[in-house]
Amino acid sequence: MPTHAGTPRAENPGEPLIEARGLSRVYRRPRTSLLRPGAAVHALRDVSLTVGRGERYGIVGESGSGKSTLLRLLCALDRPTAGTIAFDGRPVTGRPERDLRFLRENLQIVFQDPMSSLDPRMRVRDLVAEPLVALGLPVGGRVAELLDAVGLPAGAADRYPHQFSGGQRQRIAIARALAPRPKALVADEPVSALDVSVRGQILNLLADLVDELGLTLVFVSHDLSVVRHVCETVAVMHHGEIVESGPVDEVWAAPAHPYTRALLEAVPTLEDLT
Amino acid sequence: MLTVDGLTVDGLGVRAGDTELVREVSFSIGPGERVGLIGESGSGKSLTALSLMGLLPEGVTATGRATLAGRDLIGVPESRLKRLRGRDLSMVFQEPMTALNPLMRVGAQVAEVMTLHGRGRREARARAVELLERVRLPEPEQLARAYPHQLSGGQRQRVMLAIALANEPALLICDEPTTALDVTVQKRMLDLIAEVAPALLFITHDLAVVAAVCERVLVMYGGRVVESGPIREVFTRPRHRYTEGLLAASRLTPRGTRLPTISGSVPAAGHFPGGCVFGNRCPHADALCETVPALTGEGHAHACRHPAG
Amino acid sequence: MRGLAMRGRLNAGLVAGGALVAVVVLAALVSFVWTPYDPTLVDAAAKLHEPGGGHLLGADKFGRDTLSQLMVGARTTLYVGIVAVGIAALLGTPLGVLAGMTPRGWLSELVMRVNDLVFAFPALLLAVMLGAVYGAGTLTAMIAIGVATVPAFARVARAATLQVMVTDYVLAARAAGRRGGAVALRHVLPNISSVLIVQASVSFAIAILAEAALSFLGFGTRPPTPSWGRMLQESQELLFSTPRLALWPGLAVALAVLGFNLLGDGLRDFLDPKLRRIRADG
Repeated sequence: MPTHAGTPRAENPGEPLIEARGLSRVYRRPRTSLLRPGAAVHALRDVSLTVGRGERYGIVGESGSGKSTLLRLLCALDRPTAGTIAFDGRPVTGRPERDLRFLRENLQIVFQDPMSSLDPRMRVRDLVAEPLVALGLPVGGRVAELLDAVGLPAGAADRYPHQFSGGQRQRIAIARALAPRPKALVADEPVSALDVSVRGQILNLLADLVDELGLTLVFVSHDLSVVRHVCETVAVMHHGEIVESGPVDEVWAAPAHPYTRALLEAVPTLEDLT
Repeated sequence: MLTVDGLTVDGLGVRAGDTELVREVSFSIGPGERVGLIGESGSGKSLTALSLMGLLPEGVTATGRATLAGRDLIGVPESRLKRLRGRDLSMVFQEPMTALNPLMRVGAQVAEVMTLHGRGRREARARAVELLERVRLPEPEQLARAYPHQLSGGQRQRVMLAIALANEPALLICDEPTTALDVTVQKRMLDLIAEVAPALLFITHDLAVVAAVCERVLVMYGGRVVESGPIREVFTRPRHRYTEGLLAASRLTPRGTRLPTISGSVPAAGHFPGGCVFGNRCPHADALCETVPALTGEGHAHACRHPAG
Repeated sequence: MRGLAMRGRLNAGLVAGGALVAVVVLAALVSFVWTPYDPTLVDAAAKLHEPGGGHLLGADKFGRDTLSQLMVGARTTLYVGIVAVGIAALLGTPLGVLAGMTPRGWLSELVMRVNDLVFAFPALLLAVMLGAVYGAGTLTAMIAIGVATVPAFARVARAATLQVMVTDYVLAARAAGRRGGAVALRHVLPNISSVLIVQASVSFAIAILAEAALSFLGFGTRPPTPSWGRMLQESQELLFSTPRLALWPGLAVALAVLGFNLLGDGLRDFLDPKLRRIRADG
């Protein structure tokens, strides 16, 4: 079994940090008839998961699997139709935004496409400082510190996102997410929009930061091999449900669910050539 | 060397104003051959394809020579290209949703490309159903009457493939045809493309995808072909340092180990170094690399002064 | 400005529109310190003076200098445009943004329905009614035109806001802890500003036209304040004998309207985000 990347330095490792119980989310399609309401779409059906402190938890699924919906619920950017979420022992669901400070401070998110997740009209300085400003925390020299931590020059602070390459933009997004010193980081396909030659840089950077800061990581991807590189636990999603979960190496070596097997077989690899 | 059949590209260049985007690209594709064109963003791979189709955006021009079955593709008037496009060579794009007309039934869209090139209406309609069947769409009769939004992404891309194959082209160009698709759908699509393509130029950033479809590969970086050859050889014994780095970066090592990376990032168009285009990111670069290395070697060729292996 | 230079290329419409608008603004500014004659000076000796000989564009039936009237009329025109567009933007933008940020809320529904109501009501009729109740005048006309333009702004602002609200960066801002008001100020407004600028210049053109029409009908600017619309009205009876009296103000209105419309179109292209995706470095 491969070694863990460093020793997680989170306090009380193993204790649950994120707990979701029986999450469901039903969307209504816009109505097409005056008499009947729009069709219901079950984006998520009865999903439960527990992410321990310091754990790297992967969520794998294709488009329409419900992984994006689950992510939004975990980050309290959307409300579940049923079920509960607790973060650090405190309930998240059913609270108004003003009572979610503990979550906003401690759970940050990195999106797939750094071009669209960074406001094109804001300078890097303001983008990185935004979580601090929003939470009323002191900014001080934190921006320079964060830019340095993600390997960007201090001069980057005065420029706009479009002046950077994809990989650099994702570094900016990571710096921003780390600004309020969160306990957990949620990464939504953070390398899918990047060139192969920079993908490794960003994955290495994430691994380093997660190690150094003792972060809990929820890593979402459509690619099981990327999740296998990053995470120790994986949940495979299909049609709004978790069809299989467990230690990633076990799932990889002996997938129990037919969908997981299909997924593994479908991913083209370079291994057959060597 | 004049291949009568198939595609021959000789010294292709693409420029926008003073910026050279593609330089000295030469290759050929014989009938039945499947060739991959690999590159990251800014490598010039899509521009290479678009220049062959005569579909370069305004202000971007192509130079050099390219022939398909003896017919010139570059520097010929639009009227002549119009007759070639969709008949002798055709292309499948990345986004199947935007490439299809949302207000037209898919069967009619497949038939249209045939009537455009002089086939009878009734014959075209019958053949459209055959084509939908050939790209393995279920119940092609019914499906021909569907609108694009009623199909899944994978089905739409199959419709695009049916349109591309409608006039039995001599060459099929695919630009990232499966990038927008789910992995489980991708595999079947790739198998299908490999099976039906008369001769294939397959453009992608994904090395594993190329390996699944193609026999030969061209690696582009900074607007140049830096390495080319049979896929197995190039992928198992890469010579150019860029190919080497790209392959290393593509293999995900076990958890807890560091991934090999290529330092820096891909420069913006027009900002690649003179001499070897990879010079500013290459760990082996020295003074020798300040002059442009030629693409040399029979079969497996590379343009590197300090090749690996 | 380096920032602006990167955003897009100058286009012919922008340059032509900008030039026309600049001429109007310049004429209005100069008229504060200098006009060839007092525009309201009645001079029997200059009655229907032909162009030339001291009166560059001639004089009207009261002997008032046409060029002087046009210059001071430009002032009225701009004044009306600025106030009307100001009212429309100040009321319409917040309403539109609010409606766009809560697309399913009752407030949004209310805003849009009231909007429809105002939209369905002809602006000129509103101005005439207000004029009848509060007395005709420049200010009444401006307020009427402004209120009638609110829905146009609200609609454009709402549509642009809807687009911004579904972007990842708004989601990212919410995840960072930003509340509604801050999202509106920091993310929505800056990102819809280019659309609003375009809307403002087009509305400006409409306001100019509306003011001219109202003054022509006698519901706008009161005499003796010079206005292009009133000049047109006064030239009516002499339209066949001295058509130039109608030609000059008519030309002024047409060129000013064309100028603002061209400026609007030009700005639309200039501020197009698709033309802005130019990376400055690697």
